Amino acid sequence: MSQCAGEKSTEESTGRKKIMKMKFIKKCPVFLSLAVSGLLFTLVGIAGRGSVYKEYKFNVAERPFLSLMMEGMSNGVKPWEVFYAGQAGSGDAGAADGKAEHNEQADGETGQSIEDFAGTDDASGKTEGIMENGKSGLDAQTAGDGGDASAAGTAGDGGGASAAGTAGDGGDASAAGTAGDGGNASAEGVTGTAEGDGTVNGGQTYDFSTVTEDYFDDAVFIGDSRTVGLFEYGGMEERADFFAKISLTIYDVFTAPVAKDKTTGRMITVEQALSQKKYGKVYLMLGINELGTGTVDSFMEEYRAVVEKLRELQPDAVIFVEGIMRVTGTKNESDPIFNNTNINERNAQIMKLADNQNIFYIDVNEVVCDESGNLNAEYTIDEIHLKAKYYSIWKRFLLEHGIVR
Amino acid sequence: MVAFSGMEFLFRFLPAFLAVYYITPKRYRNTALLFGSLFFYAVGDPFFLLLLIAAVWLNYFFAGKIVLLQGENRSKKTWLTAAIIFDAGLLAVFKLLGAFLGSSVLPLGLSFYLFKMISFQMDIYRGEIAQLPTFKRTAVYFTMFPQIVSGPIMRFNEGSFLLEERKYSFEKLEEGIQYFVIGLGTKVLLADRLAILWKDIHAIGYESISTPLAWLGAVSYSMELYFDFWGYSLMASGLCVMLGFPFIKNFDHPYASKSVSEFWRRWHMTLGSFFRDYVYIPLGGSREGETRTVRNLLAVWLLTAFWHGGSLNFILWGMLLFVLIVLEKMWLGKVWKRFPAAGRCFVLLLIPVTWIFFAITDLGQLAVYFGRMFPFLGGNGVAVNSHDIIKYLTMYWKYLLAGVIWCIPAVYRFWEKHRKHPAAVIFVVLVFWLSVYCVVSMGNNPFAYLKF
Repeated sequence: MSQCAGEKSTEESTGRKKIMKMKFIKKCPVFLSLAVSGLLFTLVGIAGRGSVYKEYKFNVAERPFLSLMMEGMSNGVKPWEVFYAGQAGSGDAGAADGKAEHNEQADGETGQSIEDFAGTDDASGKTEGIMENGKSGLDAQTAGDGGDASAAGTAGDGGGASAAGTAGDGGDASAAGTAGDGGNASAEGVTGTAEGDGTVNGGQTYDFSTVTEDYFDDAVFIGDSRTVGLFEYGGMEERADFFAKISLTIYDVFTAPVAKDKTTGRMITVEQALSQKKYGKVYLMLGINELGTGTVDSFMEEYRAVVEKLRELQPDAVIFVEGIMRVTGTKNESDPIFNNTNINERNAQIMKLADNQNIFYIDVNEVVCDESGNLNAEYTIDEIHLKAKYYSIWKRFLLEHGIVR
Repeated sequence: MVAFSGMEFLFRFLPAFLAVYYITPKRYRNTALLFGSLFFYAVGDPFFLLLLIAAVWLNYFFAGKIVLLQGENRSKKTWLTAAIIFDAGLLAVFKLLGAFLGSSVLPLGLSFYLFKMISFQMDIYRGEIAQLPTFKRTAVYFTMFPQIVSGPIMRFNEGSFLLEERKYSFEKLEEGIQYFVIGLGTKVLLADRLAILWKDIHAIGYESISTPLAWLGAVSYSMELYFDFWGYSLMASGLCVMLGFPFIKNFDHPYASKSVSEFWRRWHMTLGSFFRDYVYIPLGGSREGETRTVRNLLAVWLLTAFWHGGSLNFILWGMLLFVLIVLEKMWLGKVWKRFPAAGRCFVLLLIPVTWIFFAITDLGQLAVYFGRMFPFLGGNGVAVNSHDIIKYLTMYWKYLLAGVIWCIPAVYRFWEKHRKHPAAVIFVVLVFWLSVYCVVSMGNNPFAYLKF
């Protein structure tokens, strides 16, 4: 478009050319500002294409380079980060946004030799977590910002991730298990799986029974928008506590401020809230928002860590891990990410966490799905959430799946 | 690509087309516009491009006949009737198909280009278009890309299709860009945000919303619809101005009206004036007694309703407005004249109610929603959370507040008056990039958009 001025002025003498240009600047400030800023943003996009924006799906025919910058910003990548992207280390570890934090939690202090690398810059534990998988600096950054898929995936390749995780949770179900497993896995490639199970308590298992509403008096529900719906329309808000937020994920469940401190009225984290009050039951439903992030293994690694942490914070509580509620058939068929194949895959793994002593798996899909196993289309408008009036089905299901020890 | 707020349009088609258009010598710019528009349509709806071309050609043929028979009134009228039966018939057929098979069978922009064609035939017949324009000019008028998808329904005489009439200047280019960006912001930053609230309410299920939330939903939908269409119209008119055409006003701050009739003179003005000039006045308007007036209004509102959609809720919507407007014509209007404040309140209270009829196509659901708005009529809720209003006000108050402010005519006029001020320039640039940011982060990143 800038040619319009240029093209015209080629016909004119050079003297007039100058005047034209002056006029143009004066008369088209918006046009000019847009052109200049657009050019600048395009350069940012091009510059970052190979580094910080590497993971984004991009097709020049469909969208401009500058959209990369915008997409990056929406993921927390500051535009100026592209300028140190090429340098060694990982000044742009900020790119590895909150999602990567789970690595930090899981790995704790096991940085080992690579730790020195990460320690040299301002990157926090986030980078360490990624580095730990034995990747080079640059690769690690990109892995981090595209989500943690590849990072955790690599760990899995080494035979580590899943094996280590199970080893951990079979263990004493304490923090020690978590801290240990990353290191063990990558260092030695431990493959022993579920051996640890059962050997710890050797105790009694329990079956579900039907309970009355006062069962929820010492219960807490943790979850995403589905649990928010249960809070708003399940009719349990007087009895139970709800630590739920739209788009809450397994990765930020302990760090997001989702619980209300009853004395101060301030929002506190689930970790803080669980340290303050003793609960009899903890219900956890998370996982749909994470479908597009990472692999089943990387998800489960974090899920396991969360459950262990819950045990640690509420050692006497019954923990209900809830299967992720499915989506409708139409959604299932049309969505490459948010479909029931992906949900079922993760639910099958969540189910394995149950020991039927302290941790129980319950799956509300049993009562809200149709014969083909999809969320009943009648129960929902947006194909993902129950309509308000059907949350009573979920509640009834919970009442029929109480554990009395 | 046909969405003006999409990346492909903003950063591919528009800059490329503007460059070509301005490089092209003035006398060929209509040709550039014609081919650019056909390309635009072909990308949007390749299948029905042929229908568009056929309709353009046939209408030009009819118009030619009408002009040729200028002296002979009867045969002239026959050709006019033929043209209108063709245009209106085509529209009716597709609208009916759409009502049964879903709106996806409707060709892109059909009702808008056919209305342009009808107005063209009428203007030719009436001699308001002095002589038959060239085929190219007519085709440009019918197909020009800024207006083909959703109007405004510009009259032939309003556009300067004679190249000599078109003025190009940096000021006009700049002015067009400013209107375009303001329209883009109105749509992306306000309408698209408020649309999510409406979706949320839908997802809860109408039977479970509290009465305050039902009203908030109605108000927010009223704003969403306005900002969506007004924003679109500003973009379209801004594009026209960039290309050297005049600015076509399609909305005149309707929510500041003092009566429902006035509201409809200020809402989608090009459609309203179309029905006024080509239906209402030819039927006799309001000059032939009360009964005739009411009949003419009924005709206009039935057509308006049918034009918006084939399903029954649109008919109800049209009839509701018809009743309100007749009431105002008979006696309410006099009351509003004496107490303009009462008229304003009437508009602000009733227009959102009418939009609910427009928004909810399923009659059963419509009744449920209506029952929640007026619970004393027996709309008992199921599993209602009486605190829901607080949640949604907390989530959306910024957009709602900005929306209310943007509905005030003085605010828009202030911007229009000072749009050359450096602060206004910075504002427009910010609005543009913020809109682009929103479109990118919502559109291309499913993880940002799909949050459960």
